[in-house]
Amino acid sequence: MEFSEFQVPTRVVAGRGLSTSIDIELQREGLTRGLLLTDAGVRPLADRVRRAAGSRVVGVYDAITPNSSVEQVEEAARLARELEADFLLAVGGGSVLDTAKAAALVFTEGGRLLDHQGVNVLARPLLPVAAVPTTAGTGSEVSIYAVVRDENTGTKVSFISEHLAPALAVLDPVLTLGLPPGLTAATGLDALTHALEAFLSVKAGPLSDALALAAARTVLRELPRAVVDGSNLEARWRMLTASCLAGMAFSWAMVGCVHAMAHACGGLREVPHGLANAILLPHGLEYNRPAAGDRFGILGEWMGADPVEAVRSLAERIALPTRLREVGVEEADLAALAELAMLDGSIYANPREATAEEIEAVLRAAL
Amino acid sequence: MPVFATDQDVYATIGALFEWGSQDPELGPKIAASGLTIRFVYHEPESEITVDARAVPPEGRHFTVLCGPAGLTPDVTMEMNADVAHTFWFGHMNLLTALARGQMKAVGPIQSILKLLPAIKPAYKKYPEIARAHGLPGEE
Repeated sequence: MEFSEFQVPTRVVAGRGLSTSIDIELQREGLTRGLLLTDAGVRPLADRVRRAAGSRVVGVYDAITPNSSVEQVEEAARLARELEADFLLAVGGGSVLDTAKAAALVFTEGGRLLDHQGVNVLARPLLPVAAVPTTAGTGSEVSIYAVVRDENTGTKVSFISEHLAPALAVLDPVLTLGLPPGLTAATGLDALTHALEAFLSVKAGPLSDALALAAARTVLRELPRAVVDGSNLEARWRMLTASCLAGMAFSWAMVGCVHAMAHACGGLREVPHGLANAILLPHGLEYNRPAAGDRFGILGEWMGADPVEAVRSLAERIALPTRLREVGVEEADLAALAELAMLDGSIYANPREATAEEIEAVLRAAL
Repeated sequence: MPVFATDQDVYATIGALFEWGSQDPELGPKIAASGLTIRFVYHEPESEITVDARAVPPEGRHFTVLCGPAGLTPDVTMEMNADVAHTFWFGHMNLLTALARGQMKAVGPIQSILKLLPAIKPAYKKYPEIARAHGLPGEE
């Protein structure tokens, strides 16, 4: 291990029904004028949180879509500026949370979002974000990344900085109770992918390892329960926790080729991120097996089976698609997807140094 | 004590490496194909080199290397201490680690730089020759 670093800049509060008293947490952070960001699909949940926040929310932007765009980020930042907001309250899944983080960047630094690409570019704290996840998978409520789709190029653009981590994360499993089985399954596999790729990453460290292993074991045990019975609050609670732990782990350990390919699929074909990860995870793991050394064995011990078999078995149990062609990817896309994946920063933390040809072969195996 | 005493030392070594690359039949075309203008800003000593694969290169070269302020708008700017660059070109520094530790700053679409990483591998062999010929300390 050459170097490892770990930090959780986000204050995490968690509890059943906690979002109904979010005003207390906002007050503790000194946040007084917020723009609420959400998407139309979870607007009823967001309205519930808004009521709890009371006069601390002064506006709502609910036009965020899955694989949210640069345009949406800039629109949200513009609205926040108009409202003289002193924080953003993000209520939703990964796209909403990432949009809020990127909008905070534009709000604070000005200019266009794509002007701020790079690493170590952000030198000061951004407009605070309070993140309230309504899915259990993204980990964005604690991560130092924001991923947004550039509609001009059909690619996912990643931003990375500890300043992008939300100031506050509110984990309330009640908000995930209504998540349909398919979304529960796909987002849960996203969390598992974060955990497994963080553990196998060349940037893995002892602290991220502990979080990743705990998250992986929890997802394997609890995700089927949450999918089969969405009203199982205990399973929902444990999944939300696992997602957060995995988010902390991959924030610093990074991810790998599965995410690089999933980002490519999201950029080119708008495949939902969790679904892309779910389909690609067993294939990416198999590809990395020769380079993973004894870490594959450690994963196997924690997961109670060979990692590839454990993931395949889980995906089968929760009835997720297992082929890229089921989610709109075609044979003709594979070369372009491989090329896009090779441009994704995640590929450089992969335990096996990948070539475009190898990645195309992995994608083909998953087709 | 910094590896490089003056900006001219930077140009005579790292600049010379880029000049070599611009004529290398393996590395040169790959950088040229990127079409990027990359500005390298160094500190201690203050210096900068621009690799311009956007403009038509001089005869016999695949891209243009400009030592000193070039006045071009770069696609990507990489900023670091010159000592860090010295270690990097000896092949002893992982780019991701250097970025993670704040030893390098990258402004612009970092993906385009990452894409070039496999292409620049031959330069890791060449740089020690150039550095030693200039009397700079090795990194064994």
